[in-house]
Amino acid sequence: MTTAAAGEPVIRVTGLVKRYADITAVDGIDFEVRRGEVFGLLGPNGAGKTTTVEILEGLRAPDAGQAIVLGIDVATDPEPLKPRIGVSLQTASMYPKLTVVEIIDLFRSFYAHSRPTAELIHMLELGERRNARTKDLSGGQRQRLAVALALVNDPELIFLDEPTTGLDPAARRSLWDLIRGLKDAGRSVLLTTHYMEEAEILCDRLAIMDHGHILEMGTVDELISKRFKERAVRFDEIDGIDDSTLGALAAVTSVKHDDDAILLYSSDVAATVGALLALTEAHGVEPQDLGIRRATLEDVFLELTGRALRD
Amino acid sequence: MEALFALTLANIRSYTRDRAAVFWTLAFPLVFIVLFGLIFQGSGSARLTLGFVETDTSPAAEQLKAGFAALDGVTLVDTTREDAIEQMKVGKVDGIIVVPAGYGASLAAAGGGAPAVQLEVYTDPSRPQLAGSVYQAVGTVLGIVNLGGRPPLVVPSPQTVQTENLNAISYFVPSMLGLSIMQVGIFAAIPLVADREKLILKRLAATPLRRWQLVGSNVLMRVLIAFTQAVIIVAVGTLAFGVEVTGSLLVVAGFVTLGAMAFLALGYVIASFAKTEDAANGMTSMIQFPMMFLSGAFFQIDQMPQFLQVVARIIPLTYLADALRQVMVGGAAFAPLWVCAGVLLAWLVVCFGIAARKFEWQ
Repeated sequence: MTTAAAGEPVIRVTGLVKRYADITAVDGIDFEVRRGEVFGLLGPNGAGKTTTVEILEGLRAPDAGQAIVLGIDVATDPEPLKPRIGVSLQTASMYPKLTVVEIIDLFRSFYAHSRPTAELIHMLELGERRNARTKDLSGGQRQRLAVALALVNDPELIFLDEPTTGLDPAARRSLWDLIRGLKDAGRSVLLTTHYMEEAEILCDRLAIMDHGHILEMGTVDELISKRFKERAVRFDEIDGIDDSTLGALAAVTSVKHDDDAILLYSSDVAATVGALLALTEAHGVEPQDLGIRRATLEDVFLELTGRALRD
Repeated sequence: MEALFALTLANIRSYTRDRAAVFWTLAFPLVFIVLFGLIFQGSGSARLTLGFVETDTSPAAEQLKAGFAALDGVTLVDTTREDAIEQMKVGKVDGIIVVPAGYGASLAAAGGGAPAVQLEVYTDPSRPQLAGSVYQAVGTVLGIVNLGGRPPLVVPSPQTVQTENLNAISYFVPSMLGLSIMQVGIFAAIPLVADREKLILKRLAATPLRRWQLVGSNVLMRVLIAFTQAVIIVAVGTLAFGVEVTGSLLVVAGFVTLGAMAFLALGYVIASFAKTEDAANGMTSMIQFPMMFLSGAFFQIDQMPQFLQVVARIIPLTYLADALRQVMVGGAAFAPLWVCAGVLLAWLVVCFGIAARKFEWQ
């Protein structure tokens, strides 16, 4: 079963390139996914995440570079890979006139080994909709069905392309639990997302992608601490105090605005807070919603691209 | 194999739950047949039209004629032998009775011990049901004339005429079957394009399912629907409108299968060029309607203008409808059966070849 030895990565990508008519969707990327980890590709729409994943699933041929998945070179012959992976595409529609149970049973027929239908329905909490036709499902239920279909063959490696898009917060959290459960059962997961929070909570390691390039790669802590040694003191903007005054406060390294909030990046938070309170008292005001924040992936992305990810 | 059958079942479920598809492929041809059947009921076999050729004018001959005229559902057409045979060939009369010259005198002589009088009866043995009806009418009338006497005074002398043309409903039923098979085949393009648009085909490509299984499930399902159509159409034609299926049902089944596959291949060609479901809809109509009217399914090909005849000689429906008509009800052939089979096979191979090169799965 395992053509890759225990220490071998389940995915190894080197110099991968994919071009369409006038754009280079994936422009020479390298990364590895280790067995048993949840690896995230984080980036805005159009970053090249889906193209990358579809090459790894054997659905698209790369123009250059190599992709070895579970020891199989997907550019040469991806067929032996297919029984061993599970796939959830970004657009999760299915035969509209078939029911949830009928579609799961159909997909089970494609594999020599499969999980029982009842188990999958229970895992994805689709019990109440088991006999509903897929055209009558909500967006979130369709997404859950797509994930159920990705797990039909109990695969070693699961690709989830934007799996929580369209889910309500409760459904998103239960899908996160499910993904953690897969990891605990020794499965490897490659997921794409444009939700920071999801990447921070789920991913052991992640790669930040933009315009077909990987900008940075590592654990969440590595990505943040590499760029942001300091933490930030945050408070609502105060009229009459300008950025240069704030920037001159003790230990402040930079001043940033996030909507109506001010972020003072500081190498010594206690000194900065003391200086800030002295300044505001002199002005006769009190800083509102004062807090101390660690930098987030959002800050990393902003720093790397100059844009907010959510834009 | 399991995947092939599971996917076929999924296709059938999707089809039977699509009311529009079921209507156009199963109910619509039936509605058409019933409508046509009612219009042409006059020429159906429920009524019997007999050519009556009287070469004797004795009271006995008149009495015989009155006997036929009195039968329920029988219409007599007074005419000459030559004209009657011509009329029978084109389906205007169903059988002919010829009263021989000197019938009255011979009848009197037979009563006195002379040989029985020969009454010539023309039927087409290739249409046994109709021939049976004619002989039944003759038997009824002669039963009265002979008064149960032994030996009989008048006996029928069987003559045969090979009829060429069919009555309208017999011509129409095989055409309608051909048309339905065409629809079931080329309409396959629409769900195929829809599945591609919804990325269902892409999702299937990420499973171990092979393309031949996907195509195979389509073939199985479409051939199955074609057989359902054939059973329904033949049953209604035979039971409700007295169309006689004289040929081999096995050969009919062969052409139903071949036709369904050829038109399915054409459906794949449409799906290769149509990018959206709407485009697929438009292209199927664009192919379906000209094919319907130029194929000889409704109009005889030799009655068309010359340049349209050229088209008729190319399109596959011409050959499917012609083959089904020849095998099911006989009648004038447009092309020999092996030519029909060859042309359909050629369409199948060429269309499949084009689709194999051009069809995009994603």
